[in-house]
Amino acid sequence: MNTQALGVEHYLAGMRAALDDLPPNEVAEIMEDVEAHVAELSTELGENETLEQRLGSPEQYAQELRQAAGYPSRTERLPVTTKQQWLTRPRAAAWGLAVATGVTLLAGAAALREPAVLLFPAVILALSLALVNDRGPVQQEIMNLPETHRLKKWLTPEEGTPAERALTYLRSLQPAWWLVRAGLLGLGAVLLAGRDILGFLAIAAIAVVSVFAGPRAKVDRRWLWFSLPASALAVGLLVQVIDVTANQLAYNTSRSSYPAPVVESYDNIYAYDENGKLLTNVLLYDQDGRPINAPQSYDSCNNTNGPEPVIPANRYPRPKIDYENGVCYTVAPGVSAPSSTESTTPSTSSSTSGSATPSSVPPTSVSPSK
Amino acid sequence: MDTSQLLKGVLDLAVLAVLRKDDGYGYDVVRRLRAGGLNEVGDASVYGTLRRLYNAGMLTSYVVPSEEGPHRKYYSINETGRARLAESRETWRSFASTLDGLLEEVAA
Repeated sequence: MNTQALGVEHYLAGMRAALDDLPPNEVAEIMEDVEAHVAELSTELGENETLEQRLGSPEQYAQELRQAAGYPSRTERLPVTTKQQWLTRPRAAAWGLAVATGVTLLAGAAALREPAVLLFPAVILALSLALVNDRGPVQQEIMNLPETHRLKKWLTPEEGTPAERALTYLRSLQPAWWLVRAGLLGLGAVLLAGRDILGFLAIAAIAVVSVFAGPRAKVDRRWLWFSLPASALAVGLLVQVIDVTANQLAYNTSRSSYPAPVVESYDNIYAYDENGKLLTNVLLYDQDGRPINAPQSYDSCNNTNGPEPVIPANRYPRPKIDYENGVCYTVAPGVSAPSSTESTTPSTSSSTSGSATPSSVPPTSVSPSK
Repeated sequence: MDTSQLLKGVLDLAVLAVLRKDDGYGYDVVRRLRAGGLNEVGDASVYGTLRRLYNAGMLTSYVVPSEEGPHRKYYSINETGRARLAESRETWRSFASTLDGLLEEVAA
């Protein structure tokens, strides 16, 4: 019994060694099967029978299993892929798929405006699939890439953890996603229908094929070159539809709350020369020679002194009325009344007021009527 | 004629066929194939075929804890596997009848 247990351990160790070039996940799966197999067989062995007699050497067992499973055989694999060839066709194809999916996601967000951008990822996909199309549906070489292992490991958390349960749940939603994806792509096609007939046909075709692509990709990994970008395109389109809808909503609400266009509210203009001296009687015109009039008029200043406005509306600074005396004055910004003597003093103390706001200037009296 | 050579091409079909009714773990499948008359089937070939069919998405697997010894991993056929089985069965039948026809002509 003890020797048998030893024999089992020895045999399994030989198997592991013979398989150690395969992906660790796959080796773990194989060994789960093989451990049970060898353990069960060992109980059936006769007195002088060994596992080797029943199953052949661990290396032979491993080689036969590799052949049946479609793994590369060890002897031909080892010399080929030890660092000599870094850029293999499977690797280029896998990265092509990843890049094209990313590009499709970005392009999908612009596809409704310019469907032709989808040609770019389409070309990458076609080229990268052409690299590995002859390698069969399992694409074992891509599955054996270290980056694929890392991705797989990342996507298969330990059993029982919340992440694992969440992922299992999401996987169970996959068929539903295939339908949603087709729906989103169909919506994208419809939105394009009026403007771009080629784009409409292309996206509609993708929508139809995508229904079959999901389940097909489970069996034949080459369909991933269609299925993954189709998902990315659907997400991109969804993002764009949400974006457009949100913009429209924002536009509608802004219109209802602000019935009048917002105009900058200024009612006077003060021009200064480079020495900080307030310029008076400046006439402002736009490029077409039309006077630039500040929105608020100064009727009151004119009305108090006569029925006709004598001062042009584009002459700045506009006089400000001093209600107490009924006289119009031109005052510098920030100065409330021309009569106050205080306002004249700080004109020289430039350091405190800074250059942005010019210091106050003595008010200039302007006669409103001639 | 060496049956093991013939078997290589149809082991997929044979494994899917014995899993059609009941799930089974590896050695179980080996036994069913032998009980069905495929005496020359190799253990490792069956295990390898199970892995390939599993990786191709035609089988699912689940682990059943065992009190004595290692846990057993059962394989069960899914819809994809059934579809493939039906397809392969048709292929096999037409192939077999074609070959039968050829052999008849030779005999006659």
